Amino acid sequence: MWRVLIVEDDPQMREFFAASVRRSDQLTLVASVGTVADARAFLDDVARGPDVLLTDLGLPDGSGLDVIRYARQRHPECEALVISMFGDEDNVLASIEAGALGYIHKDAAPDDIAHTILEMKAGASPISPMIARRVLSKYLSLQSNKPLAPVDIAQAAIKSGANDGEKGLLSRREQEVLELIARGFSYAEIARLQAVSVHTVQTHIKSLYSKLAVHSKSEAVFEATRMGLLTQPDVAALRK
Amino acid sequence: MTVARLGPFFAALLMVWVFAPPVQAHTMELTQAQVTATADDATTTQVVQLPYHWDLYNKGHRGEAVFALSFDLVDVPAEPWGLYLSRLGNAYEIWLNGTLLQRQGDLIHYNGADYSQVPRYVVIPSGVLRSSNQFRVHIRADVGRRGGLAKLVLGPQDEVQLAYVQGYLWRGTGSAVVAVFSFLVGLIALSVWVTQVDIGEAGKPKRDPLYLFAGLAELFWAFGVGYALIEDPPLPWPWWGLLPIVASSAWMCNMLLFCVEVADWGQTVAAQWLRRWLGFFMVGSVSMAYWALAGGQPLALTISYALSGVTALTFFAVFVWHAARRAPMGHRVVAAAIFLNALVGLRDLYVYRIHPSYGEITWIRYSSLLFGLSLGYIVLLRFRTASAQARDLMATLAARVAQKEAELGESYNQLEALAREQERTAERTRILRDMHDGVGSHISSAIRQLQSDREVSRRVGHAEVLRTLRDALDQLKLSIDAMNLPPGDITSLLANLRYRLEPRLAASGIELQWDVDLLPVMAHLDASAMRQLQFMLFEALSNVLQHAQAKTLRIEAHVELPAGASGAQVVRVRVADDGVGFDTLSAQRKGQASMHERATVIGAQLQISSQPGRTVVEIRFG
Repeated sequence: MWRVLIVEDDPQMREFFAASVRRSDQLTLVASVGTVADARAFLDDVARGPDVLLTDLGLPDGSGLDVIRYARQRHPECEALVISMFGDEDNVLASIEAGALGYIHKDAAPDDIAHTILEMKAGASPISPMIARRVLSKYLSLQSNKPLAPVDIAQAAIKSGANDGEKGLLSRREQEVLELIARGFSYAEIARLQAVSVHTVQTHIKSLYSKLAVHSKSEAVFEATRMGLLTQPDVAALRK
Repeated sequence: MTVARLGPFFAALLMVWVFAPPVQAHTMELTQAQVTATADDATTTQVVQLPYHWDLYNKGHRGEAVFALSFDLVDVPAEPWGLYLSRLGNAYEIWLNGTLLQRQGDLIHYNGADYSQVPRYVVIPSGVLRSSNQFRVHIRADVGRRGGLAKLVLGPQDEVQLAYVQGYLWRGTGSAVVAVFSFLVGLIALSVWVTQVDIGEAGKPKRDPLYLFAGLAELFWAFGVGYALIEDPPLPWPWWGLLPIVASSAWMCNMLLFCVEVADWGQTVAAQWLRRWLGFFMVGSVSMAYWALAGGQPLALTISYALSGVTALTFFAVFVWHAARRAPMGHRVVAAAIFLNALVGLRDLYVYRIHPSYGEITWIRYSSLLFGLSLGYIVLLRFRTASAQARDLMATLAARVAQKEAELGESYNQLEALAREQERTAERTRILRDMHDGVGSHISSAIRQLQSDREVSRRVGHAEVLRTLRDALDQLKLSIDAMNLPPGDITSLLANLRYRLEPRLAASGIELQWDVDLLPVMAHLDASAMRQLQFMLFEALSNVLQHAQAKTLRIEAHVELPAGASGAQVVRVRVADDGVGFDTLSAQRKGQASMHERATVIGAQLQISSQPGRTVVEIRFG
């Protein structure tokens, strides 16, 4: 039984998600709150954190991203999903970098919601072609260390199968998977093309997610160092 | 000539010279001579007082003269003595008691070298002088070359030599200094004239004639003064004799023209006439001089000098008079120099032409230095004015540049604001259109479905409304995704479309076949065109979902090279299903019409073919 925490300020929506969780016999709702403060208070109080955090991004007293970070910090075993209206690129990417492992649409069917949660716990992480493209271009520009026009990056990203993954932050496999996702192939199709199991594909994506989260942290550290907020020893400490 | 007569003016001007005290008592001056002159075969003998100026005694004749001067000495000196002559020539021999002391030039042939220009000093060796002595000085004199004999000064060497050095300083060294100075000033003025070019009217380069006239005047003056120092002429007579006369006339003409420019009278009618007169005068004076020298008519030279004097004096009178009333500083300075030179000139004229003096020098060669100085002053004045103008100009220019810069910045800001406004308007238009065609149209459909008569409403139930609303939300998501789609990247567009519609395809039980190549970026598809293409494909897919009752849906995207292989690549996107199909001709539904419109807008070819079991929507980009 996975323990679920819901953070959603719209009572109707919150109730809908709560009901969806309750309907599943593999999920338990531990709490459903409406603000960042309440969520933090809950996360502080409990000795054993929730297994799943389901959070909206736009909360009255802050961002759901803060809740995700806080939860990951207090209870590293807690896995987060973002409730998104549109599943749009910018919000999803920000969520992933904050530590989320996926997102659920607000218009999803109740069964789909439980299904998505359980899939995540089973190791699946959904990723859209747009996100895949963005991630690829971001890593490629980091690897080549020079800014490129988005189109060039995207094309380069999709084409560069031969790119040496060892040098970069992505493994070669991960990069190939990302490229195929960016071209619209489903996990099953990718698994067939790569002659691996769907599970393997999902594993690649999940590791990608955690890399993104870690990378976003080191990027923050780099930025902070550059701005003079941190000194070198602190950086070393943070990197450990 | 004594020091005292030079006056304080030259003392101040030529401070470098140190003047010696007057010749002392035991030096002797021999001024009385018996002269035997042979002028053109007529020989006369008479006793004269020195100096003897040949031209005064023998007007218009050349000839030779022998002077005999006797003197007694009480104490015959044991050491050598010196003899100083301020002038003698044109060629000469000096004998003392039958001993030749010095000889310069050819006594037989006329109009050759002229040795009368500088003072002479002769050493009288010991043993030549006795208690009773006689000098015999033999000269050759040409016409109009100031031949003759000055008084003889003799005495102990140190004293007489001092007088000689002093005389030479004024006649020789002084003249050389003046000549060099004038020559340099002339060269500088000419180089200023050559280098200082303004762009005048009609773009022609324009030089300031002031510097040209000043330069020429100074060069002619330098020649005139330096001429006297050349003893052995490089030209035969009378040409050599003509040169200083021509030089002095040319000097005067250029001087006058220079003054015209200084007074800024260059454009006046009087100046035109003056130029003509000066041209005439130049020709006339050269002719007269030739006549005087070659034809032995000194009167011609006098007339020429008179004309030049009248011209110069008249002009200078007007010039000085104007300067005295009101004139710019440069004009006044030049006028002052002219006034002083005129005074000196009058003195020289008296000494040279009227007073029977010989061995004197002209003072004007020194006072003429003032012209060079006044020219320098004018150049300074002009430079100061020009640099002030340049400063003003720079200040004005800087102010203008600053103003232009501000204006440019302002207009740039306006342009930028305008561009931003345009961008906002375009974006707003696009979003409004999206809302209208997508969400708006779907929501109004949903409302219509709910409002339509109850019977229908019950029959279609919630399913229809639900689908319409899902369509609306999907459209909204696609609109948002479209904002991040790289322009021209059809592969990404298709992938995104699949991702968004996948849940509904899955729900409807239709199998999706995905056959999408990696397509090249279509450079001509901008953000708006991408959105149009997205709409078209959404419409096609939506039709399959709603009406086709298909089992499989195939999405293909390929790049094709045209048959000729020379043309551009063709991209073909195809949506095919195996549903019931529809009549493409009669069923021109709203959706289909709008697809055709959009295809036209983005320059794509749309082809829809349908029959039961196979419906194909094909979009081609060339």
